[in-house]
Amino acid sequence: MADMLKLFVNGEEVEVESGKNLIDAIGAVGIEIPHLCYHPALGADGNCRMCLVGIEDGRPPLVPACKTPAMEGMRVQLDTEKIKKIQRDVMELELINHPVDCPICDQAGECKLQDYYMEHDLQESRMRVAQVKKSKNLDFGCGVVHDQERCVLCGRCVRFTRQITGTGELGIVNRTDTARVNIFPGRPLNNRYALNVVDLCPVGAMTSRDFRFSQRVWFLKKDEGICHGCAKGCNIHIDHNREKYKDDVIYRYRARHNDLVNGYFICDEGRMSYKSENENRLTEATVKGDLVAVSEAVHTIRQELSEAKKPLILVSPNSSLEQQWAVKRLATLSGVECFGYSDAYIKEGDGDDYLIRDDKSANRKGLELIEIETSKQRFEEALAECDLLVNFDNDLFRFDANEEMKAVVAGKKVIAISTHANYLTDNGTVVLPVASYSEYGGCVVNEDGILQAFSPVVRKNEELIDVLEVTRMLGGDVSDSGQAWSGIRSAVPELAEVQPDLIPAEGLQLSVSEEAHVSA
Amino acid sequence: MEVKILSEKFEIENANLLKVAKEHGAYSTLDKLFSMEPVDVTEEVKKAGLRGRGGAGFPAGVKWGFLPKDTGKPTYLAVNSDESEPATFKDRYILVRDPHMLIEGIIICCWAIGCHDVYIYIRGEYTTQVKVLQAAIDEAYAAGYLGEKVAGQDFRIDVTVHRGAGAYVCGEETALLESIEGKKGQPRSKPPFPAVEGLYGCPTIINNVQTIASLPFIMTNGAEAYSVYGTEKSAGTHLFGISGHVEKPGMYELPLGLPLLEVLEKVAGGVWKGRKLKGVIPGGSSTPVLTAEEAKTVTLDYESMAEHGTMFGSGGIVVLDETVDVVKLVQNLIHFYHHESCGQCTPCREGLGWMKKIIGKLLEGEGTMADIELLRELCDNIEMKTVCVLSAACTMPVRSYLDKFRHEFEAYAKDRVNSAPANVELQRN
Repeated sequence: MADMLKLFVNGEEVEVESGKNLIDAIGAVGIEIPHLCYHPALGADGNCRMCLVGIEDGRPPLVPACKTPAMEGMRVQLDTEKIKKIQRDVMELELINHPVDCPICDQAGECKLQDYYMEHDLQESRMRVAQVKKSKNLDFGCGVVHDQERCVLCGRCVRFTRQITGTGELGIVNRTDTARVNIFPGRPLNNRYALNVVDLCPVGAMTSRDFRFSQRVWFLKKDEGICHGCAKGCNIHIDHNREKYKDDVIYRYRARHNDLVNGYFICDEGRMSYKSENENRLTEATVKGDLVAVSEAVHTIRQELSEAKKPLILVSPNSSLEQQWAVKRLATLSGVECFGYSDAYIKEGDGDDYLIRDDKSANRKGLELIEIETSKQRFEEALAECDLLVNFDNDLFRFDANEEMKAVVAGKKVIAISTHANYLTDNGTVVLPVASYSEYGGCVVNEDGILQAFSPVVRKNEELIDVLEVTRMLGGDVSDSGQAWSGIRSAVPELAEVQPDLIPAEGLQLSVSEEAHVSA
Repeated sequence: MEVKILSEKFEIENANLLKVAKEHGAYSTLDKLFSMEPVDVTEEVKKAGLRGRGGAGFPAGVKWGFLPKDTGKPTYLAVNSDESEPATFKDRYILVRDPHMLIEGIIICCWAIGCHDVYIYIRGEYTTQVKVLQAAIDEAYAAGYLGEKVAGQDFRIDVTVHRGAGAYVCGEETALLESIEGKKGQPRSKPPFPAVEGLYGCPTIINNVQTIASLPFIMTNGAEAYSVYGTEKSAGTHLFGISGHVEKPGMYELPLGLPLLEVLEKVAGGVWKGRKLKGVIPGGSSTPVLTAEEAKTVTLDYESMAEHGTMFGSGGIVVLDETVDVVKLVQNLIHFYHHESCGQCTPCREGLGWMKKIIGKLLEGEGTMADIELLRELCDNIEMKTVCVLSAACTMPVRSYLDKFRHEFEAYAKDRVNSAPANVELQRN
């Protein structure tokens, strides 16, 4: 528990955390000090001047709140006419060379400048001279498009490439009102986290080529999720929209703050992984290539399982703990060996020392905890002997073509229960589409041993069944998450005390790992 | 009225050369210096009442006293030679005519503050000054006044000349530090102040050339000899650069506290061509203007200037005669400060550009009375909301012109009142 201190804001006493600046300290108790350039991950810069406040202790009449540490007994003025006037004055200056065309700006609806204008300014423009014209639609690389004319020179993007990625592709060139953010000629953004500058930009100057002008943000439903792009388990916002009569579509992922896991940022690959939730989804059940109802496909799977002499069950390292447990229970009850072999999810050397991991699965730790066998040798031996492979959404050949294993699989009867089309669904006797991670809820444990819960977010018009439900229909004894957790708690000592409903928002550290925390 | 303390060797031929400088007393204070405790040197400077000659006038010895003790970090000295304030041209005389006085001052300061590494930050346009200064530094190294053992003492001083690239803001102390560190010349938010966290995160003293160059006299002659000149609170002498509409523009060393008009008349020969005095810029373009009436009572010291609502500044006095078009002067002023705004913080970056366009509109005959009101209001809205005082260096004088010569602005306004002075009308026609 951090030390607390008491100070006064507009004469009212509030208790805040010590060691923070005024924006963060007072912001934590719900009092916002307007700011554009300050960001907790990037530190104070003090250039926007929106956060000027008065302190009644004899120091200079105005101080930037982003650079002023909260102190015991401090008396902060935010609501005096003088401070309000300064905020209006600074807003006016922010806006004189900024196009006031919010209805056509991609940032409209989530623009801090727009918000502050409504809260602190609300004046008509007094600008009766020509505006400074700056460039538009500049390709900065990595899918980042920059509109200089909207930029307020807060410098967050520049500081991000200097402080976080260390790549330094961006700079502010020129001075006075011709200053602008730019890249070095011929040296565009070239890092795997570049799209974070879009999230960081408080106005519509940095946009994602992928997202811009595809949706008005106020139509988007913004939910919380966990990225399943790799074993880091970064926290994300899933922004999606279900237009009338149309399907629920995810339009973007954005980073969600979690100091324990990913800080304030996510990688671009994870950010763009939303596409796989929309595209190339498996949606129809087939038996021997013929379209069938889900019930018929399930019936056929049951029959195949009962008739097979030596079936084998494979589960995905991306499945939730609950799903993995349900699959394991089904295997146990059916007397079938259950594997979680998934070396194909590992992309050697792809990870870095920040957020990106070699392991591109979200819950390999879950397989370990639930004690599902993952060794290649054991799986290959079992595969060679089996006459039926029942695969629960394991993309067996994801990054690893493994021709030898492909040849073995080619001679087997395959039942593919999957979210997406892949080699196994192409070769499956029975193919059953299932819900993907944005469509169901559950828990995953990341590489650092942090248990995180997530909820179903996307509801398709044609809803697909969850793996857990499939196991129940196939004769498993896990009918819902609650039942799964009863079993998990009794079988897994590390999870014996876990109440999934009480997992904190930032996750639960199951084991201490030096890499568990990120600084940003 | 003139005195020769700083300018003693200015008229001596080749006084920039070590041999000549030594013949006239250069480096003669070092034996005494190294026999004193550093703290006593600082006390002597405090006692002399030497105030920073860069413009702010903060007591030099007091500033040195802000250095934290025993930080384990090196202490740096940055000598500010970024003499970019329009109408200010005093330091370059020292740099060219008596650079060894500056080097001797550096040695004195370094001993007092325990500094071994000195940067002289010099404006990029001062090519001659750089050459002469560097030659003097090289001579000082060769003679053992700089380097591992200064004057044979176990005390190292290394001096680096750092040329700026021609940015006014780099004369601001923290922007100067950023520039030395190889970064874009933009000011830092204070606190922390440079004395605590300056160059490379270490305690740093930043003093103007003239401040440092004043030290040899104080060391040689003692604090009392220095404070004999000037007033009680504004001690010593100052190099005044007098320019504009006077008969004898130039650089003059004068004791502080003299009446401005008397100096203009007796030293600078009075307003040229027998014209009337319209106003005086007292200490560089950033200082609020004095009207002819105000000039009658002001004296050349920090206190009197403050009492008259302006600042002593750098000592760059500009005389304005009756023909000066104040509106055009203000346009020139805003143009300069707008051009030099580093673009870091919003009010300065955006505000000065707006002011520039408004004054341009007024001069083009498209301005209105409302534009004058807006210009005046912007001065208030921009000033002191910024990271550094560059924008204030523009808004403070502009406000003074708007308040004291308002009728001239109104004469340019479309819906002006009938109060234009004849000369303005003449110029417009």
